[in-house]
Amino acid sequence: MNGFANTLRAEWTKFRTVRGWVLATVAAAGLIVALGVMPGMEGTCGKHGLSSGCELPLGPGGEEVTDSFTFLHQALTGDGSITVRVTGMTGILPGGDPHGRGDTGDPNGPNGTGDPNSRSGRGGTDGPRHGVAPWAKAGLIVKADTGQGSTYAAVMMTGAHGARMQYDYTHDLAGGPDAATAAHPRWLRLSRAGDTVTGAESADGVRWVTIGTARLPGLPATAQVGLFVTSPQYTEEVHAGLASGAMGGPSQATGTFDHLATGDGWTGTAWQPDVIGAAGDPGAAGDPGAAGDPGGADDPGGPGGSGDGPRSGAEGFERDGDTMRLRGSGDIAPAVAGAAGLGVSISQTLVGTFVGLIVAVVVGCVFVTAEYRRGLLRTTLLASPGRVRVLAAKAAVVSGAMVVTGLTAAAAVVVLGQRVLRGNGVYVHPVPTLTELRVVAGTAALLALAAILALGLGTLLRRGVTAITAAVVLVVLPYLLAVTVLPIEAARWLLRVTPAAGFALQQAAPEYPQVAGLYTPADGYFPLAPWAGLAVLAGWAAVALAVAAVALRRRDA
Amino acid sequence: MRNALRAEWTKACTSPGLPALLATMVVSMVALSAAVAAATDPLPGTDLPKLGLTGVLLGQAVVAVFGALVMGDEYATGLVTVTLTAVPRRSRVLAAKAVVVAGVLAAAATIAVAGSVLVARLLLPADVVAARPAVGSVLYLVLIGLLSLGIVTCVRSSAAGVGAVLALLYVLPIVTAAVADPAWQRHLRQIGPASAGLAVQATGADLDIGPWKGLGVLALWAAGALLAGAALLERRDA
Amino acid sequence: MINVNGLRKRFGAVTALDGMTFTVPAGQVTGFVGPNGAGKSTTMRVILGLDTADSGEALIGGRPYRELRNPLRHVGALLDASAVGPSRTARNHLLWLAHSQGLGARRVDEVLQEAGLTSVARRRVGGFSLGMRQRLGIAAALIGDPPALMLDEPFNGMDPEGIIWMRRFTRALADDGRAVLVSSHLMNELEDIADRVVVVGRGKVFADAGVAELLAAVSDGRVTVRTTAGGPAAAVLEAAVLAAGVGSVTPAGADALVVAGLSAEEIAGLLGRHGVPFSELTAHRATLEDAYLNLTRDAVEYRATVAGEGR
Repeated sequence: MNGFANTLRAEWTKFRTVRGWVLATVAAAGLIVALGVMPGMEGTCGKHGLSSGCELPLGPGGEEVTDSFTFLHQALTGDGSITVRVTGMTGILPGGDPHGRGDTGDPNGPNGTGDPNSRSGRGGTDGPRHGVAPWAKAGLIVKADTGQGSTYAAVMMTGAHGARMQYDYTHDLAGGPDAATAAHPRWLRLSRAGDTVTGAESADGVRWVTIGTARLPGLPATAQVGLFVTSPQYTEEVHAGLASGAMGGPSQATGTFDHLATGDGWTGTAWQPDVIGAAGDPGAAGDPGAAGDPGGADDPGGPGGSGDGPRSGAEGFERDGDTMRLRGSGDIAPAVAGAAGLGVSISQTLVGTFVGLIVAVVVGCVFVTAEYRRGLLRTTLLASPGRVRVLAAKAAVVSGAMVVTGLTAAAAVVVLGQRVLRGNGVYVHPVPTLTELRVVAGTAALLALAAILALGLGTLLRRGVTAITAAVVLVVLPYLLAVTVLPIEAARWLLRVTPAAGFALQQAAPEYPQVAGLYTPADGYFPLAPWAGLAVLAGWAAVALAVAAVALRRRDA
Repeated sequence: MRNALRAEWTKACTSPGLPALLATMVVSMVALSAAVAAATDPLPGTDLPKLGLTGVLLGQAVVAVFGALVMGDEYATGLVTVTLTAVPRRSRVLAAKAVVVAGVLAAAATIAVAGSVLVARLLLPADVVAARPAVGSVLYLVLIGLLSLGIVTCVRSSAAGVGAVLALLYVLPIVTAAVADPAWQRHLRQIGPASAGLAVQATGADLDIGPWKGLGVLALWAAGALLAGAALLERRDA
Repeated sequence: MINVNGLRKRFGAVTALDGMTFTVPAGQVTGFVGPNGAGKSTTMRVILGLDTADSGEALIGGRPYRELRNPLRHVGALLDASAVGPSRTARNHLLWLAHSQGLGARRVDEVLQEAGLTSVARRRVGGFSLGMRQRLGIAAALIGDPPALMLDEPFNGMDPEGIIWMRRFTRALADDGRAVLVSSHLMNELEDIADRVVVVGRGKVFADAGVAELLAAVSDGRVTVRTTAGGPAAAVLEAAVLAAGVGSVTPAGADALVVAGLSAEEIAGLLGRHGVPFSELTAHRATLEDAYLNLTRDAVEYRATVAGEGR
C-alpha cells in the first residue's frame, strides 16, 4: 500500500507540473461556469412589470405545479363526503401541425368559444379535432382554497387511464380501468375525516371500492369542495428524421355529471363555478414554449383577459336539471419542463459540462500517451514496476483532478449561476436541494469517468489523437445524435448502452407517469435513472481501464 | 512549391496509418448513415437527402484526426525540424500539406458520400439522391480536414488540436441548442462551423443560413485557421 | 562556407547566444565545442533558419538559409537523429526529403549506400538503434550533395565501430573540399579529426584556433621520471632547474618525480651524465581536453554535467 501511495504521489507530481494540463483543467472549470451564466440568457421575467413575472405555482412539497381547472365548488367545514356520477367525457384536441412545437402559446384558447371550428387552428393544417386527451380529468376534489398550488385530494375519471385518486400534485393511485360513458357511468366519492381524505369508486353507487387514502396535513377545517374538469397539454411525437420532435397544444375536456350529493356532515347547494389558474396568472396551464412571453397576459384572444384572479366560469358550466356539464382545460399535476415548459432547467445551465468533457478526455488521454511518445513510460515503469499500479495511480490522479474541477464548477453554476440568471430575469426551474447535490456530484462523476475512459483508451491505442477522438465519439456523439437526428426509440437505446448514458446524472426534473409529456433527451429526460446511467458510464470506464491494464502487462514498454 | 508538394505527397503516401484511417472514415460514415436510415420511419416532409448523409457527423471526427495527424505527427516526432530545413519557406510547407489533405480527403469523402447515398437509397422509401447535399458533404469534409490542419499548426499538438476541433464540431452545436435566447441561438447556428457548414445538406426550407453561404462560413473558418497557422509557423522558432 | 556573425538570442531570462561569431571554412573539419547549454545547438538552428536570432546574421555561401532554393543542396545537417517519423521506412524518409529538393529515388539509394544503410533501407525507422538513426541522419544530410555540412553531436549513442566510421567519414567529407562543422561537448571526440576548434560557452566564442596552436598553448612540458634513486635524481634535476631559472621538481609517489621546465631529452642527458639510474621517462602530451578545460575553467556553467558525462 505504501508502494501505491508513492506511485500515486509521483503521478500527482507529474500531473501538476505540466502547465498545459493544469491550465486546461482550470480553463474547463471556467468555461463550465461561463456557459452556465451565458450572456445570451437574458430573460424577460419580471422586467415588464408585475404581470411579466414567470414563476410557476409551487405545490405543498415545494415542487413546481400546474394548477388550472374549472371548479364547481363551495366551502364546506369539518368532516363529510361528496358523491357524483360521471356519465361521460368529451373533448377537443389540437390539430396536427408538425411545427406546433413552441408555437402554441395560448393555453386558454379552447375554452374561449364553444365552437372549435371557428378558431384559427393555431397555424395547424388540420385544425382541432374531437377527442379526449388521455389524461383529461373529471371528478371530485377537496382543496384547501382556490389559490394555485394549495393542498388537495381528488378522485376522478380520466380520458384513457380509468379512475384515479390523486393528491398533492405528485401522488397518483390507480382505480378501475374503465372509462365513464353514458352507457356505463361511474360513481365517485370523496370523504374527509380530519386530515384524511379517502377516494372511492363504484359502478352502481351501491357497492364502493376504495381507490386510496391521502393524508393532507395542511388541509384547513373549511375547505373548497366540488366538481372539477381539466384537460392537459396534448403532445404527440413526430417521427420525421431531422424534424422529429413534438407537436401538440392545449386540449379541452367536458365532463358530464349527475347525482351530485353531499353527506356525512357536509351540506349545502351553493355551488359556484370558477376557473382556477386563468389567463393573467403566470404559467397558467403549463403555458408551453413561451419563455419570452410567459403567461400570455397580453393575448388579446384570451377570454376574460382582465386577469383578475378566478373569473366567472359561466362559459364553462351548464346545468340542465340534475345534469351538469363542466368544461375545462389545464392540469392539476407537477409542472414538467421541456416541450411544455418555459425557462431553463439547471441541467441546461450546465451545458458547459460538454466543454469540460472534451478537456477531461484530452487530459486523461494525454496523461498516458505523452509518456509513450517521449519514452517517459520506460522511466515510469523503472521507478514503479507494478504496471497496473501505475495505471491505477494515473486513473486516481486524473479522475481526482476532474472531480475537483467538476464539483467546483458545477456547484458554482448551480448556486451562484442560478442567482445571476434569476437576476437577469431568466426563469430557472427550482429543484429540491437533494437533486441539486446529485446534479453537482453527477457532473463531477461525468468528467472523472470520461477522463478514466480516455486514459484507458489512450493506454490501449497509444496514440493521443485516435484515443481522444474515440472517447469523444463514444461519449458526446451519441448524445448529439440522440438530441438531433434520431427517432426517440433509437435515441433512448443509444442513451442506455453508450457512455452517454451518464448524462442521466444531470437530469433535474423527474418524469411523472401521470403527466402526459414527451420525455425526450432533448428536453433533458433520459431513459435511465441517474444512478443507472452512472453505472453504465462507470462500466465503460472500468472495462476500458481493465483492458488497458491487461494490455499494459502483456506488452513491452 | 512543386517540390514541396511532391515531398508532402510522398510523405502522405508513405505514412502507414493513412489507408486504415481513410477506410475507417468511409466505413464509419456509411455505417452510421445506414443505421440512421434504417432506424427512422420518415414522415412526409422529412429532409431525406440530409437524413441519408447523417454519417457525416461521424466521418467528420475521422477527418479531423487525419487533418490533425498530418501536422501533429511532425511535432510529436520532431520531424518538423527536418521538414523546415528541407523547405525553409514555411508557408509553403503548410500550403503543400493543405493541398495534399484536400486532395486525399476529396477522394475518400467522395467514396464515403457515394456509399452513404447508395445505402440510403436502398433503405429509405423515397428518392433521396440530390446533388447539392452530396457534393456539399464532400466539400464539408474537406474543409473540416483543413480546419483541423490549421488548428493543429497553431497549437503544435495533435491532441490539443483535435480536442479543439471536436469541441467545435460536437460541443458547439449542443451549447447552441441550450441557449435560451432564440436570436442568439440563430446567430450561433449561423457562425458555428458545423451547423453552418452542414446547411449545405439541407433541402428543406426554414434554414438559418443558405446552403452555400453556410459552407462559405466553414470555408472562412478553415481559411482563418490555416492563415493563423501559417503566420505562427513563420514567426515562431521551429 | 558558413559565416556566423554576432548572433544574439534570448529565451526569456536566459541569454542563449551572446554575440556568437565564427567561420566554417571549406575543406576543413571545424570542431564546435562547449558544455551543454553553451549555445551550440541554438547556433546551428539559427544557421538553418529554424530559430530566429534577435540580431546578427548567419550566412551559407553568402546567403541566409531561408533564401536558399533547394537548401539541402547548399548545406546538409544532422540535428536530432531521433527526429524522424518512426513508422516510415528509412528509404521512404529519404525519398520525401529527396523530392523536396527536386531529386529522385536514385540519389536516395546512393546516400543509403554511403551511410551503410542499404540492408535496412526498407525497415521502419522506429526499430532503429540510435547509431543507425545517426547514420540515417548522415544520409539525410548528404541527400543534396551539399558543399557544407553541420553535424550536431554525431557520436552520440554510437558503438565504438560506429564512432570510428563516423570519424573517418567526417574526415573524408572535409578532404572532399566540404566545409564541415561538428559539434560535441567532448573535446577528445574531435581530437583526430578536427582541423580547427571553436570553443564556446555561455553563448559566445572563447577560442577559435587551429588544433596545433591550441595544443601548444596548453602544453607546459612536464615529464614524469620513474627511478629507484629518487634522492640523487632530485638533486641533479633541481640543480638544473635552478640553473635554467624556470621549472620545478616534485615527488610523485615513492619512485617518481614530475619535472617541469626541462625537456625529456635534457633530463635523459643529465641523469645519464650523472649516472643516476631511471626506468622510464614520460613526456606529458597535452590533449584537446586539457586545452578545453584550461580555456573554460572559469566559464563552465555546467561543470558537473560535463564531468559526469565525460569518459
